[in-house]
Amino acid sequence: MSELLQLIANGLVTGSIIAIAAIGLSLVYGILKIVNFAHGEYLTFGAYMAFFVNVTLGAPMVVAVLFAMASTALMGILLEFVLWRPMRGRGAGLMSLFIVAIGLALVLRHIIFLVWGPSPRQYDVDVFQVYDLGPIRLSLSQIVAIAIAFGAIVLVGLMLARTRLGKAMRALADNRELAAVTGIDIDRVVAYTWLLGAALAGLGGVLLGLVQSSFNPNMGFTLLLPIFAAVVLGGVGSAYGALVGGIALGLVMEVSTWAALAGGVASVYKSVVAFAVLILTLLFRPQGVFGKARYV
Amino acid sequence: MSTLASPGFWAFVGVVAGIFTIFALGLQLQFGFTGLLNFGQVAFMAIGAYTMAILVVTVEMPMWAAAPIAIAVAAAFGLLIGLPTLRLRADYLAIVTIAFGEIVRYIALNQHDLTGGPQGSVNIGSPETPASYNDDWLAFQGKVQDALSSVFGNVSKDTAMLAIVWTVAIVLIVVLQKLVKAPWGRVLRSIREDEDASSALGKNVFSYKLQSLAVGAALGAIAGLFFAFQFSVFSPADFDPLTTFFAYTIVILGGTAKMWAVPVGAIVFGVIFAGTRFFDFPPFSYFDSGERAYLRLIIIGLILIGLMAFRPQGIFGKREEMVLE
Amino acid sequence: MNANAERPILEVEGLVRHFGGVAAVAGATFDVREGSVTALIGPNGAGKTTLFNLISGFYRPERGTIRFAGEQIDGKRPHWIAHRGLVRTFQITKSLARMTVLENVMLAAPDQPGEQAWRVLATPGAVRSREREVRHRAHELLKLVRLDALADDYAGTLSGGQRKLLEFARALMSSPTMVMLDEPMAGVNPSLGLQLLEHMQTLRDDLGMTFLLIEHDMEVVMTVSERVIVMNDGRVIADGRPSEVRVDEQVIEAYLGAHTEQDGVEGRTA
Repeated sequence: MSELLQLIANGLVTGSIIAIAAIGLSLVYGILKIVNFAHGEYLTFGAYMAFFVNVTLGAPMVVAVLFAMASTALMGILLEFVLWRPMRGRGAGLMSLFIVAIGLALVLRHIIFLVWGPSPRQYDVDVFQVYDLGPIRLSLSQIVAIAIAFGAIVLVGLMLARTRLGKAMRALADNRELAAVTGIDIDRVVAYTWLLGAALAGLGGVLLGLVQSSFNPNMGFTLLLPIFAAVVLGGVGSAYGALVGGIALGLVMEVSTWAALAGGVASVYKSVVAFAVLILTLLFRPQGVFGKARYV
Repeated sequence: MSTLASPGFWAFVGVVAGIFTIFALGLQLQFGFTGLLNFGQVAFMAIGAYTMAILVVTVEMPMWAAAPIAIAVAAAFGLLIGLPTLRLRADYLAIVTIAFGEIVRYIALNQHDLTGGPQGSVNIGSPETPASYNDDWLAFQGKVQDALSSVFGNVSKDTAMLAIVWTVAIVLIVVLQKLVKAPWGRVLRSIREDEDASSALGKNVFSYKLQSLAVGAALGAIAGLFFAFQFSVFSPADFDPLTTFFAYTIVILGGTAKMWAVPVGAIVFGVIFAGTRFFDFPPFSYFDSGERAYLRLIIIGLILIGLMAFRPQGIFGKREEMVLE
Repeated sequence: MNANAERPILEVEGLVRHFGGVAAVAGATFDVREGSVTALIGPNGAGKTTLFNLISGFYRPERGTIRFAGEQIDGKRPHWIAHRGLVRTFQITKSLARMTVLENVMLAAPDQPGEQAWRVLATPGAVRSREREVRHRAHELLKLVRLDALADDYAGTLSGGQRKLLEFARALMSSPTMVMLDEPMAGVNPSLGLQLLEHMQTLRDDLGMTFLLIEHDMEVVMTVSERVIVMNDGRVIADGRPSEVRVDEQVIEAYLGAHTEQDGVEGRTA
């Protein structure tokens, strides 16, 4: 039983990070219909920006986190103006944009490889500090990650629910044509969506770097498919869906290794569990948990 | 530019370009002609290589029997994943096929007993003795080398391989060209344009998509076999998504829906990829060889973006067709 | 009047289909007689195109049955139904844009062994000779719709009206038993449209082909069709000769009502 509780705790950690990263991807996917295959690299970028501030410059993690979010947000909006908007202006189709995203992912990931090299990196935090809460053992990093993640989730949730911008984002992601006739400035909302999504991705990257004992430039791409799984599970274009999908997926991935489940899935196959969820969702309920069935 | 490498190096590049040609032919059929966004093509390459190696090492099957079986197994997998997934829309199909590719790679990485785990093919079968599957092929390659040498003078191993790979590639291109120019290819193209219209005209769209996927998978497996023959060892790391992305670059660079453009795209790609090793002028001179590997990939990424932005029709495609998309 | 005139080639009974809670088709029942030209009319949002989609297999009916030439076809897939001799065109034309006009029509030919991969390699002669026949017939049909000069142009470069003509030619290519045309005259110049209508009548008279047209042009409907089926709100509200239908109270009501309300959204919802 205590093993299960530990796995659930781990699942919440993983899940909340996936959830944070999935929100931005889901909103962009919903509004622009772009599968931003480079989204994983936004995470990696955030992680390494934090590394730069925390380890290279020696600043405290708090500063590093904020810098990571800001710099990734900046990169996100820059790419919108320099790459995505011009491509859309040329009438690029979905397949073209998908391939552009792949090209972008290659560029970003390998710039990071070029600058920081392939060796695993760590933040300047005490990795051995652990806390026991009853039967559950969590490291300082995990507790920090889950606290920040949940805090961010609550803030983002409030922002999406209460502010005009948040409502506009959700409306646009849900049904672009309908939202457009209500007079929403699409370009402006799109820009803010990229800002938000990239900032969250940057945050997710730092948290990911925190909870893993070390990280390398492939970290974002490795998590990309589970992030897609969360987006699809929750329903493309639904931020709340991405949240629920992310946490649910994290739980499924961790709990699947529970020995009581016929020996449990081998730990190395956790990602495969995420892939299986992705494939099954697309086959049997492609609109996801929160999506409406669409008849095309 | 200082000394570009020896002819031997370029023969090697030619072999790799040939292997990529065969690999990309499969993608051209699936994506270029049928409009299927298959991003898991590398999985079929892995299935081809691993099936052959496993059969040769563990069951001691002769390579000439194992190879066709490996191709058939890959085609069967193509049908297997196609059955549930081909009705998904394009971007979902892309994601699912990437997931499939990763699942294959994970299995190759972790099922030590079957696939030898991270060390790859040397570890297949009993872990004490390093496994070798390539004796049959190397013997054949030697015979070809001798035959060519008797006509052309001293011919290297790599040159013999070059001749074999490209002969196979050209035969495959000729056959595929026949198929796509025929009414069969017309149906595929109609599926790319508008599935519903094709269906309304009496075409069993699903069946044709499956055929495209299966033939593409077989081609991927053939590429995997040549990869295994060329390097005599392979591991899961050789079959990661990057390979599929390279193939997409090749197909788009040459021009979609043109079979003969694929070898051109592969050669251009191969030259860019390998050639950057030898550029001794700035900015390349600032980077060591390890770093140049990353630089190459950045360049490939920029080429992909640049192609889609400025010349989506590639080298041989027609601008008018792009406008109509 | 030939003996077949009274026999129904298409029998639709109690067809129901909802989209997101709204009944697009709410219990449609009617027959189409073999060898007739029948019109299907109704205000926007009446469910006409949805009906076509149900009959041609693109949507699955929730309730009801469809019989074609005595055979049950509801639940079957579009290509199967097309094979059985029931073809349809689309309201929003579906040209295969990056293929030539000629290829568009040649594609529709049935019984082309070259569409099977193994036959391309094994029996190239048979494939070639069938291609010759197919190309010849395709050119004839293109001449009929006055598109033959554009045969080698990409279909994507055609105007809206020209695409309608292309759909018409494609539909006839397979020598079908029955053709369902969704607004075939929209955007087509009137004199050419008239010739197409005459051709339809000739096909009906000589070959016994059946036509079911969705049409908005009342003159066309009244002059060309032998029977008119009227739909409103997903139901068939009238079914009879043009002269009867035009004075039917429910029909007048439906059209007047439609003018005062906002137009609904018909057909596919995405």
